[in-house]
Amino acid sequence: MPTGKKCFIATRRDFTGWFSIRKKMELKHGLISADDHVQEHPDVWTSRMSHAKWGDRIPHLAHMDDGSEEWMIEGWRIPFSGVALAGAAMPERGQEPKRWSEVPRAVFSPAERLKTMDIDGIDYSVLYPSVSGVAGQNFGNAVDPDFEIACVQAYNDWLIEEWAGASPRFVPQCIVPIWPMDSTVAEINRAVKKGHKGVIYPASPMELRGVPHLNEPAYDPLWATCQDLGVPLCFHAGGSVKIQMSPGGAFKPAVAAAFGDVVRSVSSIAVVANFLLARVLDRFPRLKIVFAESSIGWGAYELEYADYQSAADGLPSMGYTLKPSELFQRQCYFTCWYDRMSFRARRHLGIGNILWSSHFPLASSTWPDTRRHLESALADVPEEEKRQIQWENAAKLYRL
Amino acid sequence: MEIKYGLISSDSHGQLDRNAYSSRMSQSKWGERIPHVIEVRDEKYTEPVERWIVNGEIQGGNVCNCPTAMSNRSYYPQRWEEVPLEVYLPTERAKALDRDRVDAEVLFPNGPGGTFFYNDAEFELACVRAYNDALAEFRQVSERFIPLAVIPFMSPIETIIGEVERAVKAGHLGINMLADPSVAVNGLKHLGDCFWEPLWAACQELGVGVHLHASAGLAGKLSLPRWQGFSTRQAHCVSTLRNFCTATQFVPYLIFSGMLERFPRLNWVFAETGLGWVSSVLEACDCEWEKRRLWKDGIITRPSDLFRRQIYVDFWFETVGIELRDCIGVDNILWESDFPHITSTYPHSWNAVEHSLAGVCDADREKMLYRNAARLYRLV
Repeated sequence: MPTGKKCFIATRRDFTGWFSIRKKMELKHGLISADDHVQEHPDVWTSRMSHAKWGDRIPHLAHMDDGSEEWMIEGWRIPFSGVALAGAAMPERGQEPKRWSEVPRAVFSPAERLKTMDIDGIDYSVLYPSVSGVAGQNFGNAVDPDFEIACVQAYNDWLIEEWAGASPRFVPQCIVPIWPMDSTVAEINRAVKKGHKGVIYPASPMELRGVPHLNEPAYDPLWATCQDLGVPLCFHAGGSVKIQMSPGGAFKPAVAAAFGDVVRSVSSIAVVANFLLARVLDRFPRLKIVFAESSIGWGAYELEYADYQSAADGLPSMGYTLKPSELFQRQCYFTCWYDRMSFRARRHLGIGNILWSSHFPLASSTWPDTRRHLESALADVPEEEKRQIQWENAAKLYRL
Repeated sequence: MEIKYGLISSDSHGQLDRNAYSSRMSQSKWGERIPHVIEVRDEKYTEPVERWIVNGEIQGGNVCNCPTAMSNRSYYPQRWEEVPLEVYLPTERAKALDRDRVDAEVLFPNGPGGTFFYNDAEFELACVRAYNDALAEFRQVSERFIPLAVIPFMSPIETIIGEVERAVKAGHLGINMLADPSVAVNGLKHLGDCFWEPLWAACQELGVGVHLHASAGLAGKLSLPRWQGFSTRQAHCVSTLRNFCTATQFVPYLIFSGMLERFPRLNWVFAETGLGWVSSVLEACDCEWEKRRLWKDGIITRPSDLFRRQIYVDFWFETVGIELRDCIGVDNILWESDFPHITSTYPHSWNAVEHSLAGVCDADREKMLYRNAARLYRLV
């Protein structure tokens, strides 16, 4: 575990860099939300992909015979409870829209989103997808690599054109074809050149289709490219369905949705456990990893447990030069939004490793009370640490 | 019982003697299927080794999982005569408790003993009865032992309840449960199925808690596909580390399934899952409950209040969860030694205690170290 002294030294160093950051970016509220979701609108893919080539396989909002609407990719129905992830912005909170006409503009219109950010006191918003999978996993199922690339590129182009083009306050992150690595790397290069500032990759690609295990050296080009381009690689929770407990049939829809959100977040415990020992962090020491949609409390515990258990299993003698917590603090980030009291465990996770998020527009988002939530949750946190958590860590990570 | 040291382990592992099953199960009926120890060849060893065999299947692992009871802590005994008496003989085991200055310990299984899934409900029941009878004898020797019964999962619910009642009468103070029996064996009911409700009602009436140990049978289901590139020790570290993935999902399951509301006096005890994650999970559940106004959907009580009313968690090495103890509930925290497993604090448990509890006031210390356990198991 880091001592208080170590943290203080790190903070001082960070503080010096702050002035140079400040010149470039504009901060009105002093808050960056590092994990929000855009809602892809029905034209994202239909207007960008060739109908002659892909026909009905193109991701689209299908109008069903019974009058309902569903998102479809290659005939596969996206497992949404409605047509968008919009729970926080709905008149009845948590009730997802069943028809596109009910979807609030704040979830799919950049201009409207900026207004909600102003109301909630948020300067910058780091963007993750919805229809494409909250962890960017939904096109990874595709058996046809050309189709996967076409879908991915349409999303990445749209996000730059409509969102990043609308305001520098949006921080776009690209999704990628999960395999083969040549395609993955090519798309990262293309997207970053266009302005993407992060790379979203599903943490368990081997569950999506028959590709190698994530820990295999075959993925080295992915780590190397992100490291060289200086963009973080983001594992958002939910990339593996398998590791999430299912509610069974007896839950009412609202309760099932609540359970699903809680379980999705903690399912990353298994992802973090694997990654801390996978040797990727040791081999790519400048690679930055974001575990999005996580939490300080279980993260702090997992690091303490990892240090304890790896010592008990004799791993320090197996060539691990740093303890798991040291690797984490050198290279990894958690985004949090549920947290209140758990902030007390922040030093165990690492003050420099925490990114705040409002998690808009998910039902559990702190919207529209983000400032009030943070004021109470961070009441006892020193100003310097508060600043790191609220924007400075994210500003540095995304080079804003 | 008398509290001499002020420390109760809520998670230790009781080993049964090699003759525990043979002496209790009908030889004429079950013959060689009875769990017993036999000599086998293992390619890793030049000399013949001994292993447990159940229903003709040689059990994986070693003849006894007790490295911390060995003079060399990294050594697992390969023959029964190497297993220290203090692991399976109650009178000797009580001396080990004194050596570690521990008053009492809760006994989870040490293989074979957790489950007996051999596609034969009658055989399972016979093994379960033998296990429960043998472990109950620990308590007959000394009230410092707190045995937990295993249940015949494959039997009708009346039989399961009958066995729990019998075991409790014999001295058991809780039951072992799988987080999802339907994952373990095809055909068993999901834990949320109404099949199990009479069991919850029975445990509530008997005043015994339901215990889930580590991954509680969900390790395979809730893990990423295993990477073949990991060595045995790396794989062990990853899988051990991810075990609390079950508890972090199962606590929300208990809350949102309404099970805690339906059985408000039934306690659920999580062993070897640590504490530090609890504040996160309760904040997440409370947040969802508030934002989605779930009281309108039948979850009447605030999730964190449900937790504090009915759920117990434990610690053995950590500091994070101790710092967050009032977010968890200082009345819901137990301590464990995990004797005689590899992560055990034995025989220096008090060193581990002092590491975790530095600066904690006496009232909180006493609760977490023994008062909560004494209350939960009605020891004093």
